[in-house]
Amino acid sequence: MNTHKEIFNYRTPVIVFSALILLTLLTVATSSLALGETGSIMLAMFIASVKGSLVLIFFMHLNHEPLIFKLFVALAFVTLATLFVLTFADYAFRGVS
Amino acid sequence: MSEQALPVEVFHHHDEDGTRLGFWLFLFTELLLFGAFFIVYAVYRNNYLPDFKIAAESLNKGIGTQNTIILLASSLTMVLSLNALKANQVKLAKTFLLFTMALGTAFLIIKGFEWNAKFAHHLFLQTSSAIAAGEGSLLLNPGPEMLPNGQVLFYGLYFVMTGTHALHIIVGGIWMGIVYYWIAKGSINPENTGVLERCGLYWHLVDLIWIFLFPLYYLVA
Repeated sequence: MNTHKEIFNYRTPVIVFSALILLTLLTVATSSLALGETGSIMLAMFIASVKGSLVLIFFMHLNHEPLIFKLFVALAFVTLATLFVLTFADYAFRGVS
Repeated sequence: MSEQALPVEVFHHHDEDGTRLGFWLFLFTELLLFGAFFIVYAVYRNNYLPDFKIAAESLNKGIGTQNTIILLASSLTMVLSLNALKANQVKLAKTFLLFTMALGTAFLIIKGFEWNAKFAHHLFLQTSSAIAAGEGSLLLNPGPEMLPNGQVLFYGLYFVMTGTHALHIIVGGIWMGIVYYWIAKGSINPENTGVLERCGLYWHLVDLIWIFLFPLYYLVA
């Protein structure tokens, strides 16, 4: 028996998918620009982060999750970022005394 | 005495939110696994920047872009499969799931061709000392010339990271096959979509990791 009133939603996923494709083409196009070493990697990582956020929010349905889920996911990424920062702090100051 | 006569009510406690939260916790461990790889990549890229750039030249930007689009499309069909099932369109959900599996397979086939091309150029997961000793890899003849350490590291990381990623694609594909069977059997249905949902979360995470792998390997030359 069908108790579901939900209708088949394809619009949001298709719009998000289109945005992801556009961002992919954008990151490929900007990769050949002369932005300098740091500039080009930062831009590529920024675009990747935007794409990743779209996937997390819309494809992984974080927009429909309770606040506690969002906080947990944010905490996971903060943990990862901390690991990155600490590792680089170690590398940057290694040998300095 | 009268208590024993009461009908025993079997109560299956199932907490959908809790299950999903538990699954997210598993996804966090995946994030840390790949996160560690990304840290190693970042440090060695920093130390061997010129070598990394030379080695990255050999990766085909077009093929990488194609694979990225294939994986993004597979994520789309995965979402559509879940949405279709929730909207009680079981047949459509199964079709979209098949599409997702097909796209995942296409990704692996393209990746396989890419790896083969590297193997043909004697590029394989190996240490520079092994190459220097003329041992190379066990699977292939040693390369004709010795690569600088930085390039060996680049290819090593490339094979390990895309290999681990490909392994996740394979696991996701097998899981989708099982989910497909369960949908066909009816145990996954519009009233009970949890397993498909979690399969989708896993698949999207694999996609998310590729979103970061792609620019770091294909667009840094």
